[in-house]
Amino acid sequence: MLEKKMDWRWMVPLFLLGIIAEVAVIASPEVNDSQQHVPQNVYTDIGSTRQKIMTAQFECYQKIIKDNSNVRAGLMCNRTWDGWLCWDDTDAGVTAHQHCPDHFQDFDPAETATKVCMENGQWFIHPESNRTWTNFTRCNAHSKESRMTAINLLYLALIGHGLSLVSLFTSLGIFFHFKSLSCQRITLHKNLFFSFILNSIITIIWLTGVASNQELVLRNPTSCKVSLFIHLYLFGCNYFWMLCEGIYLHTLIVVAVFAQKQHLMWYYLLGWGFPLLPTTIHAVARSYYYDDNCWISSNTSLLYIIHGPICAALLVNLFFLLNIVRVLITKLKVTHQAESSLYMKAVRATLILVPLLGIQFVLLPYKPAGRVLSEIYDYIMNILMHYQGLLVATIFCFFNGEVQSVLRRHWNQYRMQFGSAMAHAEALRSTSYTASSITEVQGCYSIDGHSEHLNGKSCLEAEKSENSFN
Amino acid sequence: MKLIVLSFFCCCLLLTVTPSVDSAKLNLCQVLKRSIGLQRTKRDLSSLFALREAEPGQFVRPDDVKDTLLPHSSTGIGVRTKRSKNSVNQSRRSGCSLGTCTVHDLAHRLHQLNNKLKVSSAPIDKISPLGYGRRRRAVPERQMKLEMQDGHLQPVWRLHKLEALLRRT
Repeated sequence: MLEKKMDWRWMVPLFLLGIIAEVAVIASPEVNDSQQHVPQNVYTDIGSTRQKIMTAQFECYQKIIKDNSNVRAGLMCNRTWDGWLCWDDTDAGVTAHQHCPDHFQDFDPAETATKVCMENGQWFIHPESNRTWTNFTRCNAHSKESRMTAINLLYLALIGHGLSLVSLFTSLGIFFHFKSLSCQRITLHKNLFFSFILNSIITIIWLTGVASNQELVLRNPTSCKVSLFIHLYLFGCNYFWMLCEGIYLHTLIVVAVFAQKQHLMWYYLLGWGFPLLPTTIHAVARSYYYDDNCWISSNTSLLYIIHGPICAALLVNLFFLLNIVRVLITKLKVTHQAESSLYMKAVRATLILVPLLGIQFVLLPYKPAGRVLSEIYDYIMNILMHYQGLLVATIFCFFNGEVQSVLRRHWNQYRMQFGSAMAHAEALRSTSYTASSITEVQGCYSIDGHSEHLNGKSCLEAEKSENSFN
Repeated sequence: MKLIVLSFFCCCLLLTVTPSVDSAKLNLCQVLKRSIGLQRTKRDLSSLFALREAEPGQFVRPDDVKDTLLPHSSTGIGVRTKRSKNSVNQSRRSGCSLGTCTVHDLAHRLHQLNNKLKVSSAPIDKISPLGYGRRRRAVPERQMKLEMQDGHLQPVWRLHKLEALLRRT
């Protein structure tokens, strides 16, 4: 009965894995094809640089012609097109700033170009040439560094996902192999780990197969849009499984201390089902309003359709975390422990739960503006994001008390079976068997409390959570 | 001790909520502009495409790009006005700036890094003192006449060349 249930539950993710594999297979031959057939002059003939400049000029003149609503107050520099950028009317004595255009590959749109409007209402004239001059020098001053950063981040991401995949596969193997571990919380962990794995795979495919593959993006096949769809879906799944973990813990500890087993059906619906909604909306909106090649651009606010719900989920998780810690502190206080150890435990529990619930993304919610700051932010965020799977697998599987004890027991058994101490094996095995069976019975119910209970020394059932604090 | 922990959490909450509120305000007023912007870019691109389709021989040469005054066929929404105030001028940075968006940013950056369609590096001579910014294309007042139409001041162009171009497109 239970087996059947499990089968059904694992059908959905397996099906997804199948789709991903298929897309990967579809995508890879296309890469080869495009390398053969795309004519070389595509790169040189109609450069997008010229097109971009033309479009910008279009818009600028359109603006200059139509925009006559300005009431002129005082001395102003006239609006102008300087060849690369469009400048509005500017008050005298003011320096106008604009983001650099993205006409050239080495221009960084995050940097600013400046044009000085002098006190006499004329644009700044460069003394060397006696011509008006816009300062574009900052646009490509740091282009080499930012290129290096991008490549570093790529390697960082790939290594992170690789390590995550190895550790996640190992921990899933442990969870599936040792049946004594299985309980609701571990089932949730399995799903979360599985979403991490799928997310890592699709992210690696996306970063290496699509984002770095100019020919594929140029050809703009449907499969690369489908793979972005899957990427976004699995990305959402990942965060919504974190939300599921949060809801589960919260319900267990705060809401329903006396409740029986929770219905996991709703968790499956929320974790695997709900993310389809924003992903579909995003896909539809994107195809109508911002249908760029392979939907690779991140310069569209349509991405908030995906990341809004994710952020909401993370905020809810933050609330859960705070509430859990609050309850933890009050319950620990009842036991009259020394204050210092009490808070240490609370802090520890919080730190353990942060990566599980994805709180780190809420604590650093917005990208700062400056170049250095945003670079640091990029590094931090990428490390947090791409190494989260590794961290979660480490904390919730390898450092998990239950898992460690099970592993140790099996290792001892194994050693006794095949080790040198064959003579004593028989006697020892019988005792160890008794011990293990007792532990297996206790399995989910072992009461070994303190903050560790969050990390699986016990599976917190019913009022036993109360006991776990003793 | 408890107070310290509590205040810390409160600070965390405040930190997380404040920027989102700010951005919500910002978003609200940007939504309209953005929708206009979206339409505009779509329209511009399509018209550009049409132009290119129609007259491939007259494709603008790099030197022409700066001089030709290409008219626009569609008379759509009025383009937004934005007076430069102090230092911020036309800074439009759309896109997702949430923490979880970094993965898309990275993909986008990698894509741009490998973008062979763009000219790889900007011409140095145009950034140098002798370069860009030299051309002043302010609208000459005498070419535009303001006329009363339906109680509104409407600019009327008396440029034959431009009118001819408009008729053609």
